[in-house]
Amino acid sequence: MDFQTFRQFVADEAAALRIEAYELYYELFESTSASAFRHEINEFSSSSEGGVCLRCLVNGKMGYASTQLLSEESARALVRRAADNAATLENDQPEYLAEGGQNYQDVTTNDAPRPTADALRRAALAGQDALYAQAGVVDGSETQIFSERICIAICNSKGLDLRYENSFDGAALAAVVSDGTEGGEKANEYKISLGELDKLDLGADAAEAADGARAALGAGVPPTGAMPVVFSPKAMSQLLGTYAGVFSAENVQKGLSLLKDKEGETIAAPIVTLVDDPFYAKSAMPMPFDAEGSPTFRKNVIENGVLNTLLYNLRTAAAAGKATTGNAAKENYDAQVEIQPFTMYLASGELTQEQLLEKAGNGVLIDFLGGLHAGANTISGDFSLQSAGFLIENGKKTAPVRSFTVAGNFFSLLKGIAAVGNDPKTPTSESPTAFVSPSVLVEGLSIAGK
Amino acid sequence: MISKEICERVLQKAASTGADYAEIFAENTLNHTVNLVGGKVDSVHDAQIAGAAVRVFLGLRSVMATTVDTTEAGLLRCAQRAAEALAEGKAEVSVTLRERLSGDIHPILVAPTSVSNADKAALLKEACAAASGYDAAIVQVTGALLDVDHRILVATSEGLWTQDRQIRTRMMVNAVAEVNGETQTGGCRPGARRGMELFETVDPREVGLHAARQAVTMAGAGYCPAGVMPVAIGNGFGGVIFHEACGHSLEASSVAYGNSQFCGKLGQKIAHEKVTAIDDGTIPNDWGSINIDDEGTPARRNVLIENGVLKSYMIDKFNGRRMGMAPTGNARRQSFSFVPTSRMTNTFIAPGNDKNEDIISSIEYGLYAKEMGGGSVNPVTGEFNFAVNEGYLIRNGKVCEPVRGASLVGKGSEVIQKIDMVGSDLLCGQGMCGSSSGSIPTNVGQPLIRVSSITVGGR
Repeated sequence: MDFQTFRQFVADEAAALRIEAYELYYELFESTSASAFRHEINEFSSSSEGGVCLRCLVNGKMGYASTQLLSEESARALVRRAADNAATLENDQPEYLAEGGQNYQDVTTNDAPRPTADALRRAALAGQDALYAQAGVVDGSETQIFSERICIAICNSKGLDLRYENSFDGAALAAVVSDGTEGGEKANEYKISLGELDKLDLGADAAEAADGARAALGAGVPPTGAMPVVFSPKAMSQLLGTYAGVFSAENVQKGLSLLKDKEGETIAAPIVTLVDDPFYAKSAMPMPFDAEGSPTFRKNVIENGVLNTLLYNLRTAAAAGKATTGNAAKENYDAQVEIQPFTMYLASGELTQEQLLEKAGNGVLIDFLGGLHAGANTISGDFSLQSAGFLIENGKKTAPVRSFTVAGNFFSLLKGIAAVGNDPKTPTSESPTAFVSPSVLVEGLSIAGK
Repeated sequence: MISKEICERVLQKAASTGADYAEIFAENTLNHTVNLVGGKVDSVHDAQIAGAAVRVFLGLRSVMATTVDTTEAGLLRCAQRAAEALAEGKAEVSVTLRERLSGDIHPILVAPTSVSNADKAALLKEACAAASGYDAAIVQVTGALLDVDHRILVATSEGLWTQDRQIRTRMMVNAVAEVNGETQTGGCRPGARRGMELFETVDPREVGLHAARQAVTMAGAGYCPAGVMPVAIGNGFGGVIFHEACGHSLEASSVAYGNSQFCGKLGQKIAHEKVTAIDDGTIPNDWGSINIDDEGTPARRNVLIENGVLKSYMIDKFNGRRMGMAPTGNARRQSFSFVPTSRMTNTFIAPGNDKNEDIISSIEYGLYAKEMGGGSVNPVTGEFNFAVNEGYLIRNGKVCEPVRGASLVGKGSEVIQKIDMVGSDLLCGQGMCGSSSGSIPTNVGQPLIRVSSITVGGR
């Protein structure tokens, strides 16, 4: 059964139950990938997955239910389940559905035909050749080439009827390098690129992954103590992604973010400007509307150190007496509407990474953070995270280091940003949410090493 | 779900280009969660996951195709896609399926799908109210009661047709405390492969109180000092140390590709002789237990390490081919849309003979990690990390003041040689483990152990 037929059964059942306000969110995700190992294709997958989520308003409460089964029976059951769930809810905040007939910015999407299975396999094998051409690369180095197509449709009882389709390809190259001795040390690094298959530069990606892995060989452990830290673009965007939830008005209103009553106040160093941009030029998924169907727009979340705005959806904006910022998001079609940025980026400064290292003097350059889901407390802001990177000695990047931790607090870190670099990397997120940052110098974080 | 006759035709189509193995995995799952914020029901998540995956192997090549269209025509199209992507040959294959009743060693007394939202909310409110009322320092409490009813079917070209129904229930309470302007959190998340009878043995109020007590303790704590020191790690979720430091590196998904520090080490001593570690999917009603894995292999008890000697890896069918080893009942996937691979079930360090008081008193200066949080590992290098949710300093063999913000980092192959004292109070804790085949329920566990030295992250 197609979505349009299913939609009619839902409308019939909603009418029968006298439910007047509801929304259907449909998502179809098609993904094909080929993986290669030791110059042979070892795995291939072709998946087609998606489903429908119904949200309906019953006595002012928004009930949810979702299904992957598109049939008359499941359509009717979906309405009854969502209505039953609505009856359980006790949240007092009024709920809203987006109005139809709003204006949306045009975005560039890709509707070119997807590459053939054969093209994906050839590229995966080419990726293997590119990896093995690099010095030190050994077995275990895997290549995956993928192609994704996504379709999102949102319609509601207020006349909203939106559709979004986009597709992109990508490559993930994982380099494992050895120090060349029998049973010796190994290190690994990966590189993900998104874009049209024929425009991917597998040679450059392989070199970057292998160079990164080789640079980590022979890593030592840094000394323990408080010292300046330069976060690489990768590490800083990991940290931003972990703490983005603090800017969610929903978390603030639920007492789960320390940014309550902080709009208009200074929360970061004056050199910090943090932007949320649904139309970020290098995003694989520019979005004209959010998960509730509201139009999206670019905004400064932090402007010169001042918290300009939190991120809102319809409900939290109404509760705060504001307009939505178009940041409603769903982790998956079946998920609750939450709040997320689109491409959130720290605006670049003037300095190169080398200049940041010079300013740091002696400290560490952190290029990787691990265990962010566990070692970072998104409520208190405290973090203590596994790290890897390089020593900074006399203003220069020197020996590789790993098996140490960096500890601090995200809110203090925002205020302690001493310099911002000019070297942001292209985002590699396959969803509308992505995080981008240049290198950043932060004074006085705690390093636990030897 | 899908009849044997349809499965036979779909498997024949899947193998029609020369596959030497074909498999159908179908599921119909109900995921249900009631969420509470500030004492009120804030949301209900109610999702039906339904679809199928067809997988075919030819030698060391695997292809999977998935579909949400589980009509015969939809499944045949899915099988055709898999067959075409695997090879260009032509083969006439005849598949005759016979049903295997795998049995159920995890009885469910009250299926959660038969219990109303209101009854679930009432249990959760009891837990959250206990947390809120614990101390004036508690400023927010959130809770969730989740249940999963996961019906699976596995049919293979080897003639197997079998089904399983996996029901799990879990309560999660998080408390936020503020003491002198410092905010900290505490949590408690018990779960089991049980129905609503879980709450005959788990008192919701105790769940709330546990979370609240931890939040208040940590909010009043100073920062953990940084450095290398001995650490005593508590039982229950403390077992995450073995899960991250060693468990993932024993999964065939790493070992088959040479991407594990434990490749080629079967029969060798890799850990301290006090360490015996087991992965056991057969423990009745435990969180990570299964009757069959997601390739249809019956669950097993696998001794991974015995007195420090590596005895077994955890192996799925596909990676087992490359390793030349049989599957061990560890193939798992979050849902039909993930390619299954070798994963843990209930993984724990077996009880030893050391007394808890001796373990603590042996440490002159170090950390007592009473409760652990999550972590992660890079199997290639063995470098791991995990968070300490509730920690205390040990001075002169005595547990002293609480410390916050600690994490532990190290290298798996080194740390398991430094587990030099093992207590006897084995307990498991529940977690969700994320990897290439998605997020799956796994138990971690251990008695109190001592790690003679490890890097403690703090400040």
